[in-house]
Amino acid sequence: MSQTAHTTRVLYESAVTGVGEQVAAFLEHGILIFFDEKAPEELHEMSVQHRATVAEEGPRPGDRIQLGGADLEILAVGPVVADNLLNLGHLDLKADGKTEATLPGDVCVDPQTLPLLVEGDAFRIVRPETAVL
Amino acid sequence: MSNYKSVRVTQGRGGWGGPLTITPTDDKPLIYSVTGGGIHPVAQKIADLTGGEAFDGFKSSAKFEKIAVAVIDCGGTARVGVYPMKKVLTVDIHATSPAGPLANFITEELFVSGVKPENVEEV
Repeated sequence: MSQTAHTTRVLYESAVTGVGEQVAAFLEHGILIFFDEKAPEELHEMSVQHRATVAEEGPRPGDRIQLGGADLEILAVGPVVADNLLNLGHLDLKADGKTEATLPGDVCVDPQTLPLLVEGDAFRIVRPETAVL
Repeated sequence: MSNYKSVRVTQGRGGWGGPLTITPTDDKPLIYSVTGGGIHPVAQKIADLTGGEAFDGFKSSAKFEKIAVAVIDCGGTARVGVYPMKKVLTVDIHATSPAGPLANFITEELFVSGVKPENVEEV
């Protein structure tokens, strides 16, 4: 008799290394922006900087994005998201509830107040998988 | 004394803004590529035609005052606004239109999008 187990695969795993001064203002618009910590200085003030240890794949709808203690379902993913994330550690997260990304760089989740991250928080993208044992 | 030339950058298919005329100077010599995977071909072409210096913004940092043009591959929210906000001429490889919290900084005089190498011409 076979059993199934629900597991997750980590597509992207990173740790927050800095949070820009403008990040809170963007959160009021339901937007959270990430960049690799090596991104140019001028992009730091509006973004969360981080250092990735796993960067295997971009997200697709149904994957989950984990931010500190929050765990959000991804509803939509624009066509340039994977390149942005894997090349630049860049991601534009929008709490707009859209199931089709408005802009090519958008990753959409349900409308909510996105968390204001702090240094050391996890930024992780996982894919739920069902394994047959 | 360097001898710089000008290029005209027009919007590509589905793009917005421009055309921009880009002329590096001794004070602003950098063709600043803030794109994934090194200097973008559009930035390289602008540098080749103008005599400006192609510069990879993800490899090392540059002073803002030195930038003649920023070439970005932005999907619409962050980089698309940062450079126009600082009054830096901005060329987006992707065909984006003004959007997001910084949209009001993005003007036709500062920004052009959907740009491919063939949209860069000598003046």
